[in-house]
Amino acid sequence: MEKFMFIFEGTQPGNLSPALMQEHMGKWMAWIDKLRKANQYVAGEPLLPGGKLVSGPKGKSVTDGPYTEGKEVVGGFFIINAKDIDEAVELSKGCPDLDQGSKVQVRQVMKIGVEQPA
Amino acid sequence: MAKDKNINQLVDHLFRHESGKMIAVLSRLLGLQNIEAAQDIVQDTLLQAMSTWSYKAVPDNPSAWLYRVAKNKAIDFLRKEKRFRDISPQYSYLLESEYTLASTVNNLFLENEIQDSQLRMMFACCHPAIAEESQIALTLKTLCGLSVNEIAKAFLTTEETIAKRIYRAKEKIKAEKIELDVPQSSELSARVDTVLKSLYLLFNEGYKSSTADELIREDLCEEAMRLCFILTQHSLTAFPRSKALLALMCFQASRLDARLDDKNNIILLKHQDRRKWNRSLMSKGFELMEESAEPFEVSTYHLEAAIASQHAAARSFEQTNWRSIYHLYEMLYQLQPNPIVAMNKAIVSAYAINRQNALDELQQIKGLENHYLYYASIGEIYFELQNKAEAKKFYQKALEFTSSGPDQQLLISKINSCQVV
Repeated sequence: MEKFMFIFEGTQPGNLSPALMQEHMGKWMAWIDKLRKANQYVAGEPLLPGGKLVSGPKGKSVTDGPYTEGKEVVGGFFIINAKDIDEAVELSKGCPDLDQGSKVQVRQVMKIGVEQPA
Repeated sequence: MAKDKNINQLVDHLFRHESGKMIAVLSRLLGLQNIEAAQDIVQDTLLQAMSTWSYKAVPDNPSAWLYRVAKNKAIDFLRKEKRFRDISPQYSYLLESEYTLASTVNNLFLENEIQDSQLRMMFACCHPAIAEESQIALTLKTLCGLSVNEIAKAFLTTEETIAKRIYRAKEKIKAEKIELDVPQSSELSARVDTVLKSLYLLFNEGYKSSTADELIREDLCEEAMRLCFILTQHSLTAFPRSKALLALMCFQASRLDARLDDKNNIILLKHQDRRKWNRSLMSKGFELMEESAEPFEVSTYHLEAAIASQHAAARSFEQTNWRSIYHLYEMLYQLQPNPIVAMNKAIVSAYAINRQNALDELQQIKGLENHYLYYASIGEIYFELQNKAEAKKFYQKALEFTSSGPDQQLLISKINSCQVV
């Protein structure tokens, strides 16, 4: 079993009505629950918007950000178990935000062997 | 897949209802003139809940979680905005000092204060300076957490129309400097009447079966009942007529499920399966009727509730106490001499007296010339008198005056049944 990271890109629409927000949340919960029951869900966290961008030698430059296009803001991530990238991609298609134009980056987590290379 | 426990853990409409409660509390804190800021804070709070709960789990006490986040956002807002002059004068001095800021905000989020805030918000939304249709739209937006789009759907109108109604209401709030106060005792009674009227209209809007989107309509009924319940719980507003209105709503709502068939066609009272009537709502209705008897007053809500209770008590359409219902309609007509009441009274007289009497009464009514129910009722009486030619004529006339699908369906099937001669 390999580990994969789902990185969710795209901001949530801010003008949803309370009823639609609750409905939307229900879809996410159902999705996570399905992954969890199949032992595929490892972890996940949502991210607050905003934050800082640190760059330059010794982190000289600290700016507010990332203020890129709203669509590219990372809203959260999952770590999931899957056989291979194909299965991971299939699983990612369950993301309820895809219908609203969001994207999911599917990345494989590198395995670092404990044994010394020969 | 079976429904997940975690999802069911959330009460239906939790977000909507909590949105209404928090907007009321925050508007009281910030002043009604800052209602938009209150709405923004609530929207942010719900968004934060949506993303956090989606990934993690619903907290044990979701409402408390929401209130905590909303409180913190409100405190941040108050610290940032130092414009205390716009803020409700009752609280501004408490909010200026860091010592009292947090505790003042906390206190307003206590359960009984939340109820109180909702009550004050009802008085503000149903302020007599605001037009009735705007009162209802604003109530749904602020107290019930419905979006403009959802309200427009429920009222079969455009978002633009609803947005305008809400805009006009907010302009009135500014112009009249309406705040979230409980009316003074001298005007309390009249102000409660305005609120009751608005809730009555809201309920009826939901009860009228003129749309395919049944769910949202039932929501309107439910909201009207929820708000009316708050009125009956508060010592200042628990007038007998508040209870009578809630009783009426309980009786009407008890028949919601029996009123439409699988294809959304209307089933008339006569043909409804009475086993489908909701017993617990009915007994709640009877209970409230009893409570509404003291101290003695007779309102139109009392009479309408009494009429509805007669239907609820009847084992069948035939066993209904029509004489007593007719008498109640006579009293109602005295309080409210309008053609709709006259029409209902006439229809009932068909069973309480006889059909010829009903026809005579109906034909004397003026002011319903554009009303499909008027013609449909005359048609129905002719039909029962076996005069199918006349019945058909009036059903056809009725058809000209309704644009609602289910109503048209019903009339067409009536017309068809007149063909078999």
